[in-house]
Amino acid sequence: MPFAQPRWLMYIMRMFIAEPMMSETLKINTREATLAGESTPWAQLRFTRNNHGKPQIGLDPENLYAFGHLIRLTEQLILEQFSRGLVSGTTHTCLGQELTAISVIRALDHPEDAVLSNHRNHGHFLAYSGDFAGLVAEIMGREAGVCGGWGGSQHLAYRHFHSNGVQGGMMGIGAGLALARKLRGSGGIVAAIIGDGTLGQGLLYEAMNLASVWKAPLLVVVENNGIAQTTDSRDTLGGGIEARGAAFGLHTWRFADDDPGFCRKVAAAVSEMRESRRPGFLVLDTRRMGPHSKGDDLRGQDELDTIRERDPLAALARQLPSATCETIEANNRAFVESVRLTANASPEATLDETPAHIFTLHVEQPLPGYPVMAAGSTVRQSLNSALRHLLETDSRTLLIGEDLHDPYGGAFKVTQGLSTGFPGRVISTPISEAGITGATIGLSLDGYLPVMEVMFADFLSLCMDQLFNHAVKFPGMFRDVAVPLVIRTPCGGRRGYGPTHSQSPEHLFTAVPGLTVVYGSHRHNLGELLTDAVLRWRYPVLFLEHKLLYGEKIDPADYLTLPAADDDVAAHLFPTLLRGATDPDVTLVSYGGMLAVAEAAARRLEDEEELAVEIVAPSLLSPLPRGSMIRHLAMRSRVVIVEESHHEFGVSAEIAAAMLESGFKGQLLRIGTPPIPIASARSLERSILPDEQSVVEQVLELF
Amino acid sequence: MASPQTVPCVNINDEFVQIVSLNVKQGDFVKNGDVVGTVETDKSLIDVAVEQDGYVLRIDCAPEQKARVGSVMFWLGAAADEPVPEVISTDAEARNAAGRPTAKARAMLKELNLDPARIPASGERLTAADIEDWLARTGKTGPAAALPSPSTRTEDSPTVSGELLELSAEAAGMLHTVTWHRDHAAAAYLELEYDPKPWEELAAHYATQQKLMLSPLLPLMAFRLAALARERTLINSTIVNARRFQYRPVNLGFTVQVGEMLYLTVVRETQDMDAGQFIAALGEVQRHAMAHKLPPQEASGATLSFSSMARWNVSRHIPILPPQTSLIVAHAAPKTSGKAVLGATYDHRVLTGFDVTQVLLALSRPLIPGMTGTYHPESTY
Repeated sequence: MPFAQPRWLMYIMRMFIAEPMMSETLKINTREATLAGESTPWAQLRFTRNNHGKPQIGLDPENLYAFGHLIRLTEQLILEQFSRGLVSGTTHTCLGQELTAISVIRALDHPEDAVLSNHRNHGHFLAYSGDFAGLVAEIMGREAGVCGGWGGSQHLAYRHFHSNGVQGGMMGIGAGLALARKLRGSGGIVAAIIGDGTLGQGLLYEAMNLASVWKAPLLVVVENNGIAQTTDSRDTLGGGIEARGAAFGLHTWRFADDDPGFCRKVAAAVSEMRESRRPGFLVLDTRRMGPHSKGDDLRGQDELDTIRERDPLAALARQLPSATCETIEANNRAFVESVRLTANASPEATLDETPAHIFTLHVEQPLPGYPVMAAGSTVRQSLNSALRHLLETDSRTLLIGEDLHDPYGGAFKVTQGLSTGFPGRVISTPISEAGITGATIGLSLDGYLPVMEVMFADFLSLCMDQLFNHAVKFPGMFRDVAVPLVIRTPCGGRRGYGPTHSQSPEHLFTAVPGLTVVYGSHRHNLGELLTDAVLRWRYPVLFLEHKLLYGEKIDPADYLTLPAADDDVAAHLFPTLLRGATDPDVTLVSYGGMLAVAEAAARRLEDEEELAVEIVAPSLLSPLPRGSMIRHLAMRSRVVIVEESHHEFGVSAEIAAAMLESGFKGQLLRIGTPPIPIASARSLERSILPDEQSVVEQVLELF
Repeated sequence: MASPQTVPCVNINDEFVQIVSLNVKQGDFVKNGDVVGTVETDKSLIDVAVEQDGYVLRIDCAPEQKARVGSVMFWLGAAADEPVPEVISTDAEARNAAGRPTAKARAMLKELNLDPARIPASGERLTAADIEDWLARTGKTGPAAALPSPSTRTEDSPTVSGELLELSAEAAGMLHTVTWHRDHAAAAYLELEYDPKPWEELAAHYATQQKLMLSPLLPLMAFRLAALARERTLINSTIVNARRFQYRPVNLGFTVQVGEMLYLTVVRETQDMDAGQFIAALGEVQRHAMAHKLPPQEASGATLSFSSMARWNVSRHIPILPPQTSLIVAHAAPKTSGKAVLGATYDHRVLTGFDVTQVLLALSRPLIPGMTGTYHPESTY
């Protein structure tokens, strides 16, 4: 296993953790410890930490009460800071649910145990990291915040802990992290914690199904507090909660946090689940004592009184001698006051310069070996060779998608022969586009190089949340975190497949900040492009392929490469090609499957209309190669952008805008698909998608 | 009557198929149902069966080719010598409104503000070449862009890393000039030495007479060259598509170095000027060049040129011929030798060495055309 190598472990660590932030956190803790020696507030608390800073919380009432009370005081501090106007944004406290938070997290005693939390994450975070000042400073938007102010209350990251503000949004990631642990034989598990309100979220069920099919150690924890923000469970929940876990074949447990043996029972369940190496479903009944956020509690006073009377933390306190309680509470108060002072003392988080993008330029990546392509290889063969080469030469590579296995080999046969050649590394999945996108993110966060196939690009909309809210956020927030995933998918029409199997949705994804969108053609060396996307680009890549090009031979013809400019991002990996007249009457910009149409139109314009035609064919759509391609186009007199996509608000619009910003003074025309569905009947489809004839006719209108 | 065997449809979704094999040749006799080849798409491979008996008259496709479903694969006839019917193209021509100028021609008409009705088309549609011919016949000047673009050879990018930079308009012009010189002219060079003194004295005399601040030597020599073109029209012509193109006006090109920039400035219509007008016109053009503000008409359209490197004290320079001209005179006057050189690069398609020698000899003798009481240096001593 590659993971056994120490260098590789370091790589994983580096990828999953924002190291500077971690050391910042440790520095703060160390400072507290050093300043006042044994008399420091933390030392008074008598919690030891493991090597990763995680507090060691025992099962005895004294320990549980001490930490639970500490969380409660911290939450109260946060609310106070809010009332003083010191909090940046919003916050959701876990008042009343402290023991629930502690119960699972304290039981995660393996160094590779991961936690995916949600908006109500402070308790989980504190029990996992012990970084109180880091949390409070983060919520206050201070430099000393655990995420440097990027995350605020809802988006916390510390080692294998991540939380996010999209309910259930990280469940697929959890399935991927769990699969990664299984694949590398780790004893770690993944606890993905949701509230009962999230039981209405579809991705949850995709993830539970994936974990079940993969037999991956994902523990879904439902903190069942009976209310979703302000809506009572009776209005959000159909059927039983445990039945959901059982339906997917997950071992299921249910405990209430007012049960005196609660934390012990949870610990046993976590231990049992860990031993089984199978997914589990743990329902924890609890009550939320505070509002959803702040001042948005619509519940009646009777109900709130009942909740207060039930308070499991108060019940723990009642088990302790009052002197013990008083000591604990006094020490906790002193500690939380020190946290307040530390957080207040930290300056506001600032940026030296607002980043123009999320990418770190010129990161030296070793040049990979490239697959050897047989002369006359088609696009399909080229992509297949590249995938085979990646599987052969880099054990981190995994292929994941629907129907990839032999003898089928994927809907367009790109993965043919690979599941046979590389058993276990070509994963055919359930129909769960969002879930497998999440899983792909999880795998990439954990050091794998997953290449995912989406059967038709039209289905990418199902993956959108995973890309938009998750994949690009990790490297965007934490410069050291790599998400080296590639999603391949066939696009485009002209096969009569109809409105949901014929689209070219690149324009939706070029709009995702931080997503790299590559759409090559048979004029590019697609095998090399794919290899570079996997090995040399540590950010999420959408790699689009046109259905009609799979059978075309890779042929660079008379195209030359436009050299990348220094200020271009990734253009050195995904080049723009150009051919034809150096002093053109008209320049056609086209990419992907439309390039063949543009070429046919260009031939007619040259032969029949005597025009000197230049063709510019980018493979990188986002980030747009402004320094090279746009600068080149800005000097032309007539530019026609030809795309198959629905082009309103699309790629051509962005190219045109960038040209204008670069001083373009000539005539410009965009040709694309109008904003209507792409019909199935070939005759209708022909009149909807731009073709050679319509391109020629529209170009001629410029003369 | 001959009938076509067409490319079969494999799948309604595939408009094109790949011809995998075709096992007939012209003259073969085939029978209805014979399998004569295979075609394939992404999804499947099918046999091509002949649809009637007959002789193969002509084959219109080849293996490895992509062919449109329904297009002709080959022609069959009852007799081996049956003619294949002429297929009237339903594509290109029919798609374009007959007689409409080509897009390139339309762009030229717009740029030159010409009425297409005045220009005869050589074929069904008015072409760029038709417009160029008409411009040539009527003595009008086309735009620089309308000149036949030089053949560009595709070059591979160097293997050493670097970047491609766009040329400035001037550098692109020079590239065009050099490429025309390389691809079209049959360039030759000759030179002769002459005694520069008499010309210098004539220029000094003229300067005194006209109260000129700067030496008019080079402008006067250039003007003399332009005047020679009125008598020797050959030097004011070029070859276009194997025919001689005789320029009506004498537009004199005159090289001007401004900083790092070399311009070929142009004084148009010199044939009606006297020396004073020419010197004034050239002075005006040079001022524009000095300010890097040459309007297009002063930077294009030379029919004959003059270039001096006397300023740099070189002993010889062999200039490049400006596009579509047949002569550029190269003047050099190394200070140490006491001798000066008149050279010429010329297009041997238009001029012989003898022609050029005659021009240079005439030019070496000081003379200001059109001046009454022609000045003879000897007579002043």
